[in-house]
Amino acid sequence: MRLRLPRLAPLRGAPGAALSAVLLVVLVLYALLVPLVAPDPFSLGGLSIMDSFTPPIWAEGGNPVMPLGADDQGRNMVTAMAYGLRTSLIVGVFAVLIGLVLGGALGLVAGYAGGRTDALIMRLADVQLAYPALLLAMIIDGIVNATIGEARSTLQAMTIVILAIGVAFWVQFARTIRSSVLVERNQDYVSAARITGRSAGAIIGRHILPNVMAPVLVIATTSLGLAIIAEATLSFLGIGIPLTHPSLGALIRNGANYLQSGEWWIAIWPCLLLMVLVVAVNVLGDHLRDYYNPRLRGRS
Amino acid sequence: MILHAVERILQTLLVILIISFIAFMLIDTLGDPLGLLLPPDASLAERQALTERLGLDRPLLARFAEFLAGLPRGDLGISYRTQEEVSGMIAARLPATIELAAVALLISLVVAIPAGIYTGVFPRSRFARAIMFVSIAGVTLPNFVVGILLIAIFSVQLGWFPSFGRGATIVLGGWETGLLTRSGWHAIILPALTLSLFQMTFIIRLLRTQLMEIGRSEHIRFARARGLGEARLWFVYALRNALLPTITMLALQLGNIIAFSVVTESVFAWPGIGTLFLQSVQAADIRVIAIYLIFVGIVYMVINLLVELLYPLIDPRLRQRHA
Amino acid sequence: MTPLLSVRGLEVALIRDSQPVPVVANVSFDVAAGEVLGIVGESGAGKSVAGAALIDLLSPPLRRTAGEISLGADRLDRMTPRQLRRVRGGRVGFIFQDPMTSLNPVLTIGRQMADTMRAHLRLSRAEIRRRSLDWIERVGLPDPPRVLDAAPHELSGGQRQRVVIALALCAEPELVIADEPTTALDVSVQAQILTLLRRLHHETGSAMILITHDLGVVAKMCDRVAVMYAGRIVETAPTDRLFHAPRHHYTRGLLAATPAPDAAGRMQVAAIPGQMPGVGDLPTGCAFHPRCPRADALCREIRPELTPMQGALAACHHPLNAARAAEVTA
Repeated sequence: MRLRLPRLAPLRGAPGAALSAVLLVVLVLYALLVPLVAPDPFSLGGLSIMDSFTPPIWAEGGNPVMPLGADDQGRNMVTAMAYGLRTSLIVGVFAVLIGLVLGGALGLVAGYAGGRTDALIMRLADVQLAYPALLLAMIIDGIVNATIGEARSTLQAMTIVILAIGVAFWVQFARTIRSSVLVERNQDYVSAARITGRSAGAIIGRHILPNVMAPVLVIATTSLGLAIIAEATLSFLGIGIPLTHPSLGALIRNGANYLQSGEWWIAIWPCLLLMVLVVAVNVLGDHLRDYYNPRLRGRS
Repeated sequence: MILHAVERILQTLLVILIISFIAFMLIDTLGDPLGLLLPPDASLAERQALTERLGLDRPLLARFAEFLAGLPRGDLGISYRTQEEVSGMIAARLPATIELAAVALLISLVVAIPAGIYTGVFPRSRFARAIMFVSIAGVTLPNFVVGILLIAIFSVQLGWFPSFGRGATIVLGGWETGLLTRSGWHAIILPALTLSLFQMTFIIRLLRTQLMEIGRSEHIRFARARGLGEARLWFVYALRNALLPTITMLALQLGNIIAFSVVTESVFAWPGIGTLFLQSVQAADIRVIAIYLIFVGIVYMVINLLVELLYPLIDPRLRQRHA
Repeated sequence: MTPLLSVRGLEVALIRDSQPVPVVANVSFDVAAGEVLGIVGESGAGKSVAGAALIDLLSPPLRRTAGEISLGADRLDRMTPRQLRRVRGGRVGFIFQDPMTSLNPVLTIGRQMADTMRAHLRLSRAEIRRRSLDWIERVGLPDPPRVLDAAPHELSGGQRQRVVIALALCAEPELVIADEPTTALDVSVQAQILTLLRRLHHETGSAMILITHDLGVVAKMCDRVAVMYAGRIVETAPTDRLFHAPRHHYTRGLLAATPAPDAAGRMQVAAIPGQMPGVGDLPTGCAFHPRCPRADALCREIRPELTPMQGALAACHHPLNAARAAEVTA
């Protein structure tokens, strides 16, 4: 397979979206590189109680090694947030992938098979629409808890959260892909391919998938923002990723305990980082949506 | 017209039935009433007896029918975690949630309708641009982040409002209200604001888009050409047209608002349904989770049905003539 | 006699990247009380824009950049928005083109009419009701009480256009601007609406500006005609004279052609080869010269001004029918 450079054309003439893209690259690098040089502050060896509640560098008692301060266990916020961001990104990306695969498969089947299968799948999608992704993820999380019991490892917890969020996201992918299939299915070239005896798989791969790439990319970006929020919310509520391997949401949950006593930085920095991340993803998603939807292009 | 209404009601009932069945299956397969009601050292015979007494040996559909019949009577079963009646647990917390939701809706309408009209009528003005910029925060920021920022500013820094609880409450005819005490109002401001932010920005953006579009329409131009004042033009002629899509979209967002109420209640330790649900998820209390699933589904379905059936009052295009 | 409406040097520009691009230039005409003036031209000639500019109905990016507009003793171009609002509907009625989009879909006809009257006339509720019923009847709709309670979607296209006319006239304006009042209607209904307009014109005695691309409508309705091409008036004359002895080559082309919609649904004049230049795309000299059979170097270089020619005005270096026009005059 040939590797292709990402196409940058969609970003031309859109400084806001370009800035968001650059910001995202910086954040990803931060999340991936810091853990390479700094030991995991959430392992036992990473604790240093001496440094706990170190304020940010400009406040009295600040420590230049910890420009943003340290949390209750003396973890450097800069390092802790890099680890947290990494977890948030991993969960978000994998959740979207699961939604994409699940929704893509169901959408293809619904659109291609039609009839009762189609009706059943789309009806299910309608029912699910009554429940927003976030709520659904909570419910799924609770159900899984009830099934396998509460004792679980960090890895299990992460898998559950990814699955819960991913499953909650399938509807949009399924609807988009189904409608593309419906449109393409009746095109002459697809009929021609079918008459010449091409298999369904070949037709899908050759004619249908290329046409749904753009809308799927748009939904994936938008969903990524929502997935990151969903994960952060679950973790903040204490039903997501535990603090042994925290995400940004878990960091905020931990920091919220110290808000009243004045150690604001433990909660506020991850809050701000999450805001920047989500806004950047959303700006990019909005821009891509407008870019690939010419009907909306040029509207302010 | 009537036929259509009946059809929509039947559809809604069908969806509620499906949701109830899913919820029932969850309880049936994941719940463990025997483990709940019997001591751990119960004998096989005792288990057998209880199974028969509870009807657990009857066919699946018969048990589902019984479960369904219990719903309207408020017989929702017993929580596996607290051993309390689920209906009682919900009843005790419902007023807190409803009051929070109502105050939040009030705040968002009071702010969003004028702001939405303003940004729609003067989209290029500086103030409108500022509103739109701030509103991006409302649609993108996670709910709990908003709550935490509000607590950090108004509770910790300024000390104006408490950061948790409902304040003092008064029981009025079985309804525990916090809206009649000073501390109750103090306590509801921050959570209501947090919960309202999403709806608020949502309404502002929708109204703005609608009004901008309608403002360019021929019928508004014609009304202007007939000398109607700008106030009447926007508040009656344009707003009437913008209302319907706005209400529809808002009703469709109800699920999100319910989800956000769970988060908001958690941030502010608000003793409502959302907190109950969250505790149940943490404790894997499958019966309460399932009941909540049904509850949310019914609220969402019924409100959307009502909105749809009430459309003709707003839009004569949907009103059939009886002549 | 001073005319009821007098327009001098009207200019409208399209603001594109904060640069004004002229759409209507140097348009001047008069309308006497009780007179019907037709403004004809192809789609995009600027006739509707000129009409809307008279009572400042333009919305961005269009803007009136110059021009004196006098209605009686008042200068419309100098009015405050408040004064202008009283003129709109009250002294100048505007009949819109498409009845399917011109009525507010969520308000009843009666409500829209009552609001219009209330904006201009001090009347009691009962009087408004009485006049509303009267107007519905005058525009030839059956069962007036039912029509007043109806929403627009309950009426047919032709019925709606009658309602639009009633709405434009119900505050008793002295001048009515009708912008393509029959274009959006079925052919069978067009004639009825024209008859109605003519009857109401006689009954009310108001002056009228009839904007149209249809010379048949002009022949039926108008006392005088102004022909517009690429944003300018190229010829004005009494209707008779224009039909019998056109001066401008464009006018002659119009008369020779039966307009038919092109692929895009725009009215095209088949007999004249080529297309009218688009906005901001004007040739030098006479804007018509690329399509004109008589065009020469003069036409390509210098734009002809409107010049009096035996009772008519035409902007052409090589006018037609000089002899014949003299004959008609004599």
